[in-house]
Amino acid sequence: MQEAVAVQTPWFRASFKEWILTTDHKKIAVLYAVTSLVFFAVAGLMGLVIRLELTSPGMQYVSHDFYNYLLTGHGAVLLLWWAIAFWGAFTNFLIPLMIGARDVAFPRLNQLSYWFFFSASILVLITLIPSQHIKMMWTGYPPFSLNDGAGPTVLYVLIIWLVAGSTLGTGVNFITTVLKMRTPGVTLGRMNLMIHGLIGSIVIQLLGVPAFVGAVTMLFLDKYIGTGFFNPAVGGDPVLYQHLFWFYSHPAVYVMILPAFGVFSEVISAMSRKPIFGQKSMMIALWAIAILGFEVWAHHMFTSGMPDWLRIVMSYTTVLIAVPTGIKIFNWVATLHKGAIRFHTPMLFTLGGIFMFLIGGLTGIPLALPSFDIHVHDSAFVVGHFHYVLAMAVTFGAFSGAYFWYPKVTGRMFPEGLGKASFWLMLVGSNIFYFTQMMVGIAGMPRRYADYPAIPEWITLNEIQTVGAFILAAGVVLSFLAWIRGLKGPKADRNPWGSPSLEWTTASPPAPHNFDKFPVEVPEGWSPYHYGKRS
Amino acid sequence: MMETLLFVPGWPGGPLAWAGGQTPVAYPAQFWDQIFNIWLVVAVIIYLVVALPMIYFLFRYRYRKGVNEEGSHEEGGFGIEILWTAVPLIIVIYLATQSFANYTQQRTAPPGALPVKVQGMMWAWTFEYPNGKKAVNDLYVPVGKPVKLLLTSTDVVHAFHIPEAKTMEDAVPGRVTHMWFQFNKIGEYRGYCREYCGTLHSMMLATIKVVSQDEFDKWLQQPS
Repeated sequence: MQEAVAVQTPWFRASFKEWILTTDHKKIAVLYAVTSLVFFAVAGLMGLVIRLELTSPGMQYVSHDFYNYLLTGHGAVLLLWWAIAFWGAFTNFLIPLMIGARDVAFPRLNQLSYWFFFSASILVLITLIPSQHIKMMWTGYPPFSLNDGAGPTVLYVLIIWLVAGSTLGTGVNFITTVLKMRTPGVTLGRMNLMIHGLIGSIVIQLLGVPAFVGAVTMLFLDKYIGTGFFNPAVGGDPVLYQHLFWFYSHPAVYVMILPAFGVFSEVISAMSRKPIFGQKSMMIALWAIAILGFEVWAHHMFTSGMPDWLRIVMSYTTVLIAVPTGIKIFNWVATLHKGAIRFHTPMLFTLGGIFMFLIGGLTGIPLALPSFDIHVHDSAFVVGHFHYVLAMAVTFGAFSGAYFWYPKVTGRMFPEGLGKASFWLMLVGSNIFYFTQMMVGIAGMPRRYADYPAIPEWITLNEIQTVGAFILAAGVVLSFLAWIRGLKGPKADRNPWGSPSLEWTTASPPAPHNFDKFPVEVPEGWSPYHYGKRS
Repeated sequence: MMETLLFVPGWPGGPLAWAGGQTPVAYPAQFWDQIFNIWLVVAVIIYLVVALPMIYFLFRYRYRKGVNEEGSHEEGGFGIEILWTAVPLIIVIYLATQSFANYTQQRTAPPGALPVKVQGMMWAWTFEYPNGKKAVNDLYVPVGKPVKLLLTSTDVVHAFHIPEAKTMEDAVPGRVTHMWFQFNKIGEYRGYCREYCGTLHSMMLATIKVVSQDEFDKWLQQPS
């Protein structure tokens, strides 16, 4: 048993100055997590106001313009600050620990990436000022986004630039870290699927973000310099923006879901006391999704006026994604077979996440079929579908991961009761909410509507959604409470879940230098999924 | 070849046995109804195939102190992994091909369709008929006759959706896009803007007035 000789201050005792100037990947991870959770809460509240307004037809609580701002904020913040940035916290905290490294390859670049992200966060707060509301939806389609009624385009563009800077910095940093800093014995084929998920999403970002940044830069030039990339009045084409935008923004959904797949794999294996079923096919499937994800973008544009043949091609490429995703789901189910399954909070969130991802996936298939999409495009059905994937599969994955590694990050155990209560409320609430949302979409209700005609069926379905949304919100509040109360909870061991993965072999919370001895030694034939009886 | 492999629903007016012989309020809704039904059956079956074993395993292999404390060391199975790669592949290729067959018909207006030019603007619709007659926010169409809309926009991107016909298309400035429908029942219906277009996006509704051919001809001749 070797303990660190020199006692250094653990991260939670660090002074304010240390937090601001830190280059430690663990502190930066905590900064990402806290920033992300604050914005998650704010955007969630925006969602509740949207839900209240839609409960009945007519405008009750907010104006049309404010509603459009709320919808823009809800979408942009939850996608960028929650579904992408929260994984930034996992990337930062886990990757060096899981590969047995002291820190990342370029700690200062890592620090810079966070502060780019922080600056973008400040700009988001500026949009709260009434005259600065952005009302172009997170997609920012021109020519509307070139219109003064859309709010300050420059803020939207600056936010994207800063977030992109942060993303690209993080990207090169962690790819280098994983390729160059693995301790001997941790091979690419053996390392955690969580790392594959996080790096897969980083590779997508490196390849895709430049297209998105290009698109918003052209938007900026169109609006303020008077160029005509997207302006049909001077020979431009608004559909070009949609292509550039979705070339990144469709793969971006895999940026959000691949790390959740990683969490599901870690948790389901640890809690079933079984190696992950088909680790190699899991890896291949994950990278297949990352690559195929770039061939499908135009399924967001099945009604955009682009040629019909392109719609058919994109329909075939899109349905192919169902194959690797199916492989992953089947492998998770097979991992449960002959396991010894423990239902701790992280496991509940993982199982819920897989169930909901199944529904999200099955409702995604028809959206890949132009013949189906032609009626539900831009309807509440699409919104319900992607909330099953993003608000449920991704969020449940993120919550599962947060609970799973909570003892490692804080050195304390969270209260199980609160965690489990939170899970059941979230599961029930979000199913009530998003299932009825899909139904009202099939019934014809368009998305992004502040108001709607008083059709009795639509009213009933909207009322049910609001009830579900508040149950969901109550569940989220309980998880926040569990995480806050857990800080004063009982001390956690190094390895409360009995996992062979490397991050569990060091202290909880890890010392500033991560491991006591370098290089970190791993036994012969090591695997992070080394569970199960061996006969 | 394609007709024997796929369920190709009848043309408007043709045999519609797959939908219980009912004529939809508006064409081409039957193509959507059909792809919806096929998808629903496939989705429910796949859901059960995954969810039932999963729930069974959760119960059967739950942790029990002294009885079931450690899982087995099972790392994968080549045959079964090939099986659950190949079967989904066949299913999705079938679905995409079925959609292809339906979509061609959803997008191709029958010969002799009445052409109407549609112009979207923030936040109203203008409809222009072949004789030059224009109407704002009211789309008059004769019952039982196919109509082909030629859409464009004067400002930002809009989209025109007809819930009864279960079809839509964007109205894009600088382009002309198209869609078609045919109402089979006289009455008033709504057309919705389906692409976000600013403050009053949700107020950008059109009224589709489906009238008899005689009434339509009379209306068409009146000066606008």
